[in-house]
Amino acid sequence: MSQDDKQPLEIQLYESRKKIHPRETSGFFQRLRKLSLFALLGGFYLMPWINYAGRQALLFDLPARKFYIFGITFWPQDFIFLSWAMIIAAFTLFFVTALAGRVWCGFACPQTVWTELFVQIEQWVEGNRNKRIKLDKSPWNFNKIRRRGLKIVIWLILALWTGFTFVGFFTPIRELADLVMTWTLGPWETFWIFFYGLATYGNAGFLREQVCLHMCPYARFQSAMFDRDTLIVSYDPVRGEPRAAGKKRREEIDNVGDCIECQACVQVCPTGIDIRDGLQYECIACAACIDACDEVMIKVGKEPGLIKYTTENEMEGKKTHIMRPRIMLYIVALSIMIGLFGYTLLSRKSIAVDVLRDRNSFFRMVDAKTIENVYKIKIMNKGKSAQTYEISATGFGGDSNVELRVVVDDKFKNRELAAGELLNLPIKIRANRSDVKRRIQNIELQIKVVSQEGSPNGEMVTEESKYFGPKK
Amino acid sequence: MSECNNQEIDFNKRQLKRIFYRRLAVVIWVSFFVAGLETMAFFVMFDPELLGQLSIWSVMLGATEGYTFGFLFFWVFNLTTAVMVGLVMVLPRTKLAKRTGPKPE
Repeated sequence: MSQDDKQPLEIQLYESRKKIHPRETSGFFQRLRKLSLFALLGGFYLMPWINYAGRQALLFDLPARKFYIFGITFWPQDFIFLSWAMIIAAFTLFFVTALAGRVWCGFACPQTVWTELFVQIEQWVEGNRNKRIKLDKSPWNFNKIRRRGLKIVIWLILALWTGFTFVGFFTPIRELADLVMTWTLGPWETFWIFFYGLATYGNAGFLREQVCLHMCPYARFQSAMFDRDTLIVSYDPVRGEPRAAGKKRREEIDNVGDCIECQACVQVCPTGIDIRDGLQYECIACAACIDACDEVMIKVGKEPGLIKYTTENEMEGKKTHIMRPRIMLYIVALSIMIGLFGYTLLSRKSIAVDVLRDRNSFFRMVDAKTIENVYKIKIMNKGKSAQTYEISATGFGGDSNVELRVVVDDKFKNRELAAGELLNLPIKIRANRSDVKRRIQNIELQIKVVSQEGSPNGEMVTEESKYFGPKK
Repeated sequence: MSECNNQEIDFNKRQLKRIFYRRLAVVIWVSFFVAGLETMAFFVMFDPELLGQLSIWSVMLGATEGYTFGFLFFWVFNLTTAVMVGLVMVLPRTKLAKRTGPKPE
């Protein structure tokens, strides 16, 4: 056994990170990425400034516990909509992944988009890949300090602006801007602006591809959505191998593949992998290698597409099936979910009601002929204007001869509820003793909106409860 | 021979350090992520301003402070759980951890 064999092997997973300097490239997919960057970041930075009907169009007002999304106001009671929207979003992500691979990662994920933006700035300040590597290796001289300093300053400004915009989604951004201008920010707004700014700086400027490799849960399970018909970025080894460059290429020109081993695909990769090793979980499908390789292939006078968006089936010369059971299942599930979501959203009531029985007593005898049950009704006005209500009760198996009288305290009579107000309303329901034939019976309470400015009256919510009587 | 041993010890030390830092990073990140979800689910149901009045310190808690404290609270406790899991998961260097595979030649 030689000395070399005894050398311990470093485990790759714990290798300390080498900074990746992705080389700039251009082409169809990079133009698409730039477009997506402009659309998404533009949307993010401008959205809070857009007003709709006199209010910030998109405002998640956490202090007031209201979400404004254009004309619609969501209360905490509407959390179900938010969770459904999230489930639908997750399903859409799975659907897109099954169809087209990790397009989310390459083109739309905030991590990728902000990293792209930060890399663009780096490139603008420090120059191209070779210059950046040289600068990285050079000792700290005036030039390095100047360039690094300028980069860090621009990054910091951008990160703080991002933090400010982010907080602007949760507190009205115009007020926030005033506070910033007059230097009177509260401690918590300051904390969140800096926290989110720092997170942006750290994620996009420093961590970059490490977030995708080590932190992202989606990267770990996305392969579960893949099948042989999913679009992937792939190198064609049949055409490319055996790869050769330089002297070897000239000598064996008849036996070599199309890959000229120029390393362009490796140099442009933002996660630092070699796509020629096959599909890897590190690949975020940004397609930079496709653009870089196509450019080289055209230069050397060969057909582009040595690296391309393709499917496993296509690579093997088989047919790609777009409509397959998995896809159809996703489409059906998604249409049902979106349909139900839309329907419930449109038929949303402007009141929320909860009926609780008074726990202190089952029933009370008002006089020899009358029985009384006590309830507490929680009414919330989810509408946009003040409301008053009318409460009635029916029950006892739908017997129309039974009369249930709802008694409301005088101080609650015709009580008007402002928009967003929550009221705990104690009520009594009286019934004739002769009608109460069983110990426990079901009743229904109808809460009807009787007056509401600017929207139709007559909205009604029905709640079930129990009515207790004496033992027979 | 002794030189090789030293190298090996150095390497093992480096490796253990990396494993430790990686574990630490995973613990911090995962507890942060879950704390975000918990904060959302929790504060949908409870208004932080009312919670402040209900607590034993009867502090007047504004909404923003409430959410922030809630988030940090969840994060700290998730972190505790994760650190403890990490700590207990690692086998101590006793007989339990001894490898019983084939001996190197």
